[in-house]
Amino acid sequence: MLGDWIQAVTGSLFWEYRQILLIGLATNFYVFLLSGVLAMAMGLVACLARLSPLRALRWCGTFYAELFRNTPEYVLLVWIHFVPPLILTLLLRTRINFSPLFSAVVALGLASSGYFTETFRAGIQSIPRGHVEAARSTGLSGALTFRWVILPQAVRKMLPEALNQFISLFKSTTLVSLIAVPDLMYQVSMITQEQMRPMPLYSGAAIIYFVIILCLSALVRKFSEGWRAVGRA
Amino acid sequence: MGMLQRILWNNRGEFLEGLLVTAEISLIAIAVAMAVGLVICLVRMYCRPLRWLAFLYIEFCRGTPIYVQLMWVNYVWPELFGWPQSFFAAGWAALALQSSGYLAETFRSGIEGVARGQRDAALSTGLSPFLTMRWVIFPQAVLMMTPSLMNQFLVVVKSSCLVSVIAVPDLMYRALRLTSIWFEPIEILSFTAFLYVAIVFALSAAIKWYSDRLRSRYA
Repeated sequence: MLGDWIQAVTGSLFWEYRQILLIGLATNFYVFLLSGVLAMAMGLVACLARLSPLRALRWCGTFYAELFRNTPEYVLLVWIHFVPPLILTLLLRTRINFSPLFSAVVALGLASSGYFTETFRAGIQSIPRGHVEAARSTGLSGALTFRWVILPQAVRKMLPEALNQFISLFKSTTLVSLIAVPDLMYQVSMITQEQMRPMPLYSGAAIIYFVIILCLSALVRKFSEGWRAVGRA
Repeated sequence: MGMLQRILWNNRGEFLEGLLVTAEISLIAIAVAMAVGLVICLVRMYCRPLRWLAFLYIEFCRGTPIYVQLMWVNYVWPELFGWPQSFFAAGWAALALQSSGYLAETFRSGIEGVARGQRDAALSTGLSPFLTMRWVIFPQAVLMMTPSLMNQFLVVVKSSCLVSVIAVPDLMYRALRLTSIWFEPIEILSFTAFLYVAIVFALSAAIKWYSDRLRSRYA
């Protein structure tokens, strides 16, 4: 019993496989970066649609955000990996497969873009209407008003929330091992099958993710507090 | 249409049973998470020597991905603690572990959110600390944390699809199995995704409606 506990916290098996595991962790970050970019881009587009004067566009933006906020990430991941390639295959009559990495990036990016839409919208809508009116009445065009009056203030407001979204996104990247993207969890399960000793490996993975996310959220807290202090001035 | 009937309607029993398992595991998980979360919150607030332990627990639950926790509970706990012995128990334990961390913080902010003057007033009228908690702080705190509690339930329902990975026969598990039997992923997986979206959307709409009603009635 005691031996089990010691084995669970010592990292000798972990250390033995450090190279594979580090590459796995790098894959986590790679997926995180790509899907983060996709999520921000799609979130911005959907947010602009939600704020547009056209009712149809607004409706599309709302539908998009609600759809992706309400789909479990794993379900979306599996769906994207299996269904669209098959539909494309049927339509184009050539065999199409999505690579696991591609599906992973698209699925996670779309899933968190729903949240980004809402974050961006809340940030932009928090700017008092008077600022826009003042900017317009001094002769700034719509685009310039957005660029120089709304955006700088909105970014400051939504930054803490957006950074927290990034942390959730990083947590979700662990799911990609389920469609065989060789991330840390995937390597851990492979080594477990080889060694038949799940305990130190899964405990080690949990601790690694815990430490990374703890550091990330401490950074976010520090950064957004500093940012907010500047914003008050 | 014949296709849809053959695959979806004829397997409606599978989908229904899967939904029941999803509902069951989510309800158990949130109930356990509430109980554990309350204990952790009370330890964190009122038990000084163990405060750091509660703090570490909360940070660990909130700072590790749910999938990692699921694997950890499923593979490591049986060897460390001799429990859980079934996939179902591992599933709800992992879901509850994640939520209990979040709920402990929800409870704490609910209790701390009650204005300090309320407590001072109750104590000075001669209520004991326990009675103050029971009749003054608790009712107001519950009112304040009900929306986030319900949102946490939503999170549990959403993450519950992951338990299919450890062979708990929930909706997602049955969908994947039907897919491998019939090899018709378009219909089966799309229908499953639709079911999940519909359920989560309906739940979140109901939560929003109820929280708005609470707010307009009491605040």
